[in-house]
Amino acid sequence: MVSASDLLARPRDRARRARGGPRRAPGLTLAVLAIAACFAAPFAYLVARTLGLGTPALGLLGESATIAPLLRSVALGAAVAAAATVLGVACGWLVARTDLPGARSWALLFALPLVIPSYIGAFTLQAAFATGGLVATVMEPLVAVNLPRIGGFPAAFGVLTLLTYPYVFLPVVARLRQTPASLEESARLLGRGPWATFATVVLPQVRSAMLAGALLVFLYTISDFGAVQLLRYDTLTRVIYASRFDRPAWLVLSLQLGLLAVAVAAGERAAMSRDRAAGGRVAPGRGALRIHLGRVRIAALALSGGVVLFALLAPLGVLAYWATRGIAAGGSGFSGLGELVEPLRNTALVGLAAASAAALAVLPVAYHSVRHRGRLADVANALVVGGFALPGLTLALALVTLVRAAPALYQSLGVLVFAYVVHFGAQTLRTAQVGVAAMPPRVDDAARLLGASPLRRLTAVELPLLAPSVLAGAGLVLLSTMKELPATYLLAPTGFDTLATRAWGAMEQAYWAQASVFALALVTVSAVLTWVFVLRRSDALA
Amino acid sequence: MSGRTASFRRFAACVLAGTLTACAGGSEELTVYSGRSEELVGPLLERFNDETGINVAVRYGDTAELALLLAEEGGDTPADVFYSQSPGATGYLADADLLAGLEPDVLSQVDERFRNADGRWVGVTGRQRVLVYNSELVEEGDLPASVLDVNDPEYAGRVAVAPENGSFQDFVTALAQVEGTDVARGWLTGLAEAGAPTYANNNAIVEAVSRGEVEMGLVNHYYNYRFLEENPDAPTRNHVFAAGDLGSLVIDSTVSVTAGAADNADADALVAFLLSEESQRYFADETKEYPLAEGVEPAADVGPLDLGATPGYQADELGGGLTDTIDLIRDSGLGV
Repeated sequence: MVSASDLLARPRDRARRARGGPRRAPGLTLAVLAIAACFAAPFAYLVARTLGLGTPALGLLGESATIAPLLRSVALGAAVAAAATVLGVACGWLVARTDLPGARSWALLFALPLVIPSYIGAFTLQAAFATGGLVATVMEPLVAVNLPRIGGFPAAFGVLTLLTYPYVFLPVVARLRQTPASLEESARLLGRGPWATFATVVLPQVRSAMLAGALLVFLYTISDFGAVQLLRYDTLTRVIYASRFDRPAWLVLSLQLGLLAVAVAAGERAAMSRDRAAGGRVAPGRGALRIHLGRVRIAALALSGGVVLFALLAPLGVLAYWATRGIAAGGSGFSGLGELVEPLRNTALVGLAAASAAALAVLPVAYHSVRHRGRLADVANALVVGGFALPGLTLALALVTLVRAAPALYQSLGVLVFAYVVHFGAQTLRTAQVGVAAMPPRVDDAARLLGASPLRRLTAVELPLLAPSVLAGAGLVLLSTMKELPATYLLAPTGFDTLATRAWGAMEQAYWAQASVFALALVTVSAVLTWVFVLRRSDALA
Repeated sequence: MSGRTASFRRFAACVLAGTLTACAGGSEELTVYSGRSEELVGPLLERFNDETGINVAVRYGDTAELALLLAEEGGDTPADVFYSQSPGATGYLADADLLAGLEPDVLSQVDERFRNADGRWVGVTGRQRVLVYNSELVEEGDLPASVLDVNDPEYAGRVAVAPENGSFQDFVTALAQVEGTDVARGWLTGLAEAGAPTYANNNAIVEAVSRGEVEMGLVNHYYNYRFLEENPDAPTRNHVFAAGDLGSLVIDSTVSVTAGAADNADADALVAFLLSEESQRYFADETKEYPLAEGVEPAADVGPLDLGATPGYQADELGGGLTDTIDLIRDSGLGV
């Protein structure tokens, strides 16, 4: 029965009441508390250690030597997030809504740059496009190419944008595949052009997915060390790295980065809650509208080709060149593909384990934070998001201290996967939240009226609707985990190598061919796993 | 629906399998934390295993990060042996009293400048600081004689450095301790004011020099040999500063035994093995480093290292002053 007060209540309150408030889901609340406690662990360690240092150390926070790099981090993060959003939405729209030839292949190609570790991306793009690089050398007989030295803000901005736009692309595609094209069809039938339709119909629908992706790009950028170190842009992570033997400074600055992430997460959450009503609801249906690109097709193909060329083919091309050059010269140290087997197996194992564990672990938080809202939800949300911005080394050393007490767990794969989940859980949280928010209440209401139990409603109605968003998020965690370095180095069982750790180790000692073979294997296994577990499945679910 | 269930099952199986593998790890082996990569030392550690039957589990990583890990783990670290790229990180652990004393007959194999006075660590191989240059852009005769000359107007802005690199920092520490902090500060400030190009590490410098992006750079000697192995056409060459110049400092990779493994004979066996003629020959020929055990010659293409001509500096002293050095570099404006 619907009462008058229900009808008068604001839509969100009404929806909440229809579903039952927090009181009626103590299990969920407990689960969220437990999960939040896990994500809070490294922060608690940092805060406790920092407070133990006393006031002199806290004075570091206000010093200009740390404020300037902090501002550079924020500026770079904001610029990269903006550019990656434009690129990610454009690519997502082309793949999901147009008759771009080979859309399914492009979908995979667009997702893959995410797996290129930023130090490898930066190094290879530099080798390709900088002074005297491969491009200049190849072009030399035809035309003298005088390319500038690559470095500083523009280079860091360019490289990080190319490597992070998939954070926007994957959630946007998942969203577009799930939203009905009927509105767009109506708009077109009513005479709106493709651009007007895009601006007035498509954009509002993908807005939440887009913002979720932009937040991830921002957090990735402010916590990145590989690209800014190689390209000489002095952000906070470089100051943190330089202070690693100076324990007080290191703790305070790490905490500063984490707090920045928490603040940004809280701000984004506030913006999202105003925006919530605007996002379109899900109505899964097949045969989404495909816009005929017509003459624009060439431009669309050129854009797609350009993105894939710079973000994927250029780095891979340089790696392939290094690999063949070194192996041909005979001094590469490369001893055959057999060496790849174990790191490859390990990489796939931790990637899949972390992706599934992260997706499952944050689902209750996503549910709670969208459906119930309130202080617990806000705190859990901020902690999960904040974990993404902690430098990997800081997170790893915090967990070393916390887990030392339990020798059976120390340096076990379980703890390593836990670290990945804490570090990358934000990636699947934000996409899952978008999915939960987009779930049409009527579907659930109908199931309730038909007498379905809460568990049955969850498994038969809600999870299938959530699956595409959750899969997109799990895909992001998968790709991030497979290239992770500091936590893998410090927390993995001794002797446990991944393709990323082998590639980095070889590159550090200038074993270019060896490093390239491992990096190429990393991209290949990422492509296969992303295809099998993420893109193919989300196609099937759309 | 069934497809989805199957894929969740696959995920779950992976997680379970992962946890079980971790629990199955035995402890009857020698655990080594190695800041030197698998390409450099992996084959040698396999030989050690073949010859002695001692199983070795190796955690490879960045030297500084592994030192931080060892410091965090403290007295009950699972590591028995720490094999480090530089004396700086090892000195940090020796200062924290986390390393055991080594056998005297092992220590005596190495010149006293390349080992710890208290016997907590010993040098295994030497890496010399050199100036790498692009032979198509710079004439050999025009190169600076001393590392202190790179700020002369003739060279200003043409020599690249890697301010965050451990070996560069070790050099600055030595400079500050031998010539005084003011000289070191002046030298760094000179580089910064001249707009010396900075790079992330030795690799990036050699790569940039080979491309011609920068003419010269301060690096460790063996990177260029690595480059030439894979790209024999590269125009990069090493220039060693004049005899006795601090710019030709030799920095050693070091090995040490953790305090908890003080009575572990296997750990001592590995240290002795790394200084054996077989291992020293391997390093000389394969990694182009200078063997530090007496009586083993460097590779023919690297040439002999005249210890008498290298600056009389104790590697032991590089451990202290690391954070001071980082502050010095940061304050100079070179960045860090």
